Amino acid sequence: MQGNTACAEGALAAGCRFFGGYPITPSTEIAETMARRLPKAGGVFISMEDELASIAAVIGAAWTGARAMTATSGPGFSLMMENIGYAAMTETPCVVVNVQRGGPSTGQPTRAAQGDMFQCRFGSHGDYSTIALTPNSVQEMFDLTVKAFDLADRFRVPTFLMADEIVGHMRERVTIPDSVEATSPRPLAEGSLPFEANENGIPGFAPFGSGRAVHVTGLTHDERGYPDTTDPEAHDRLVRRLVTKIESARRAIADYEVMNPDAETVFVTYGAPSRTVEQVIHDRPGDSIGHLRLRVVWPFPEFALKEFPNAKVFLMPELNLGQMVREVQRHVDQPVVAIPKIGGELHTPAELVSALEEHR
Amino acid sequence: MSASEWFREDRLPHIYCTGCGNGTVINCTLAAVEEMGWKRDETVFVSGIGCSSRAPGYILTDSLHTTHGRALAFATGVKMARPEFNVVVFTGDGDLAAIGGNHFIHACRRNVDMTVVCMNNQIYGMTGGQGSPTTPPGAISTTTPYGASEPAFDLAELAVAAGANYVARWTSYHVKELTKAVTTGMQTPGLAFVEVRTQCPTNYGRHNKLRTVPAMIEHIRSHAMLVEKYNRLTAEGKPIPEGTFTVGELVRRSRPAMGVRR
Amino acid sequence: MKLVIDESRCKGCNLCVLVCPYGIFAEGTELNSRGIVSPVLDRPERCTNCRLQALYGRMLCGVCRMICPDQAIAWVEERPFEPHRVEVEF
Repeated sequence: MQGNTACAEGALAAGCRFFGGYPITPSTEIAETMARRLPKAGGVFISMEDELASIAAVIGAAWTGARAMTATSGPGFSLMMENIGYAAMTETPCVVVNVQRGGPSTGQPTRAAQGDMFQCRFGSHGDYSTIALTPNSVQEMFDLTVKAFDLADRFRVPTFLMADEIVGHMRERVTIPDSVEATSPRPLAEGSLPFEANENGIPGFAPFGSGRAVHVTGLTHDERGYPDTTDPEAHDRLVRRLVTKIESARRAIADYEVMNPDAETVFVTYGAPSRTVEQVIHDRPGDSIGHLRLRVVWPFPEFALKEFPNAKVFLMPELNLGQMVREVQRHVDQPVVAIPKIGGELHTPAELVSALEEHR
Repeated sequence: MSASEWFREDRLPHIYCTGCGNGTVINCTLAAVEEMGWKRDETVFVSGIGCSSRAPGYILTDSLHTTHGRALAFATGVKMARPEFNVVVFTGDGDLAAIGGNHFIHACRRNVDMTVVCMNNQIYGMTGGQGSPTTPPGAISTTTPYGASEPAFDLAELAVAAGANYVARWTSYHVKELTKAVTTGMQTPGLAFVEVRTQCPTNYGRHNKLRTVPAMIEHIRSHAMLVEKYNRLTAEGKPIPEGTFTVGELVRRSRPAMGVRR
Repeated sequence: MKLVIDESRCKGCNLCVLVCPYGIFAEGTELNSRGIVSPVLDRPERCTNCRLQALYGRMLCGVCRMICPDQAIAWVEERPFEPHRVEVEF
């Protein structure tokens, strides 16, 4: 099965019943699969007029209580930024798949990149926090899509599946379980206000039609949902909560894989480049090479770097000119070496080996 | 339930300026909702950004105050996901015609079953009176200090051309007719578009020698011409006074619609 | 029934003065506590809605309330034996 198809299957398994999309290479197969499968599953597929509208429709559908998703690539992701900020502000649970391609602008539609890693965290204006997952295989396109829906619902936040063209178009064997466990947002308790948060900073969810007359606005709002745009305290309280509800749950959200924790040279990867690192480790069985593979990059699990107590150097192959490497540098004292590569091709094992020998 | 029970009383008085027509349009829309007998938990008001779009915040239902221009796209998502909901969109001329123009024509083309009430005050009111795509040629605004030089959009005709099932235009002076038009729009399956010419004494009237509310209302009222009369005059080849716009029902038809309650 | 203007909502636009077919509303002259000149009522008992709403069981006319942008016009129940002047018009 193809990665993009697996992503769509994961969404369907997770109970996604609304997909608003706009065709864009290399994510189109997700929309095509949803168009074929959703109507038969009792869901709605709608091809919107642009990506601005796609994410808008998804947020609208999410507020009716449906699990909703859209899929796009870099240029469309840029267009979505406005309403991603809106989703963050209004705490709308929804999933956005970004099958990354070479940028900036139209760039390389059919080649892979990981150039949007900061955009998915800081792309919209203002302060907010989001969750981003990075699959590295077709199986993970399925699994992490399911997980993205769960995280979106649990934390009431737009959640990103930051795939890339390689993972999206790769074909591998996939195990699809008969059913997957799905969470749902904590319902709004009787007597509490629509945006009144619990001790974790997450309010209960009262989708439209539950009789709670919820006013949803992108303006700074109070716990009732009513605009309060001039009170510095109200804004501080709201925006600080939007950030801390995610950042304080870093450990609960974190998902990563550790190989050879005693190693002195450690690769830190996410998404497709991790496959080359796995190949290098496989090819050099006697060599002690550590590997930290992140499945969740935002909120950044800086504590995962401490799993390598003997680390002397961190090497970070990325399909960009060095994005997440900055985040790693922020958190460790050891040297962190970026191994950037752009152009659309994955690092070859030989490239990583030469970097390894140069820096260890 | 009476129309006044649809208000979030704790939020009144609203933020609109003295003499703003938007409050009147809310009254008429809620009277139509009341006439339809809609239930509160099945009714969703959606809006974008601007003066008009603050309206749902004063209405006691689930309401979605979204981003600039995107109200119709959000509303499409709501309605398609839950066709049993009654969806009303409040929007303004800047919201609908400028930044949301593409969403507007596509919502009309899809003919999604919802009612769109556009409060067209021919100006960007919230930001202080800049020229919008519906500012009539020659009108003074803060960004057209020598008079607007661009032709204006006729939103109702645009909706007709794009395929909405019901299109009407009234003014905020014609409260009874407006209420009836909105009601008919709500009854019509498919997208119903009601353009309301509203007065903006603060930011439009002030710059255009229509300083008082009655002067502004009188200006709008006297330039409104029933579409039947307009068609008759045109057929007879008689001149139409400058600045005239048509009011009344411009189209009612039954093109295939999306998101109709099953 | 009694016609009242909610002074806490009225912003003094005088649209009611413009539309009332009976000329019940008149432009006010005095600032209220909110700094707004609300319209004054001239013999409000002449209003059809005041007199006949209960009899017909529905809103009659009501244009002032519809056009009032500030939701400030309403009809309230009169208290029993509320004193008011009645002028008979011939």
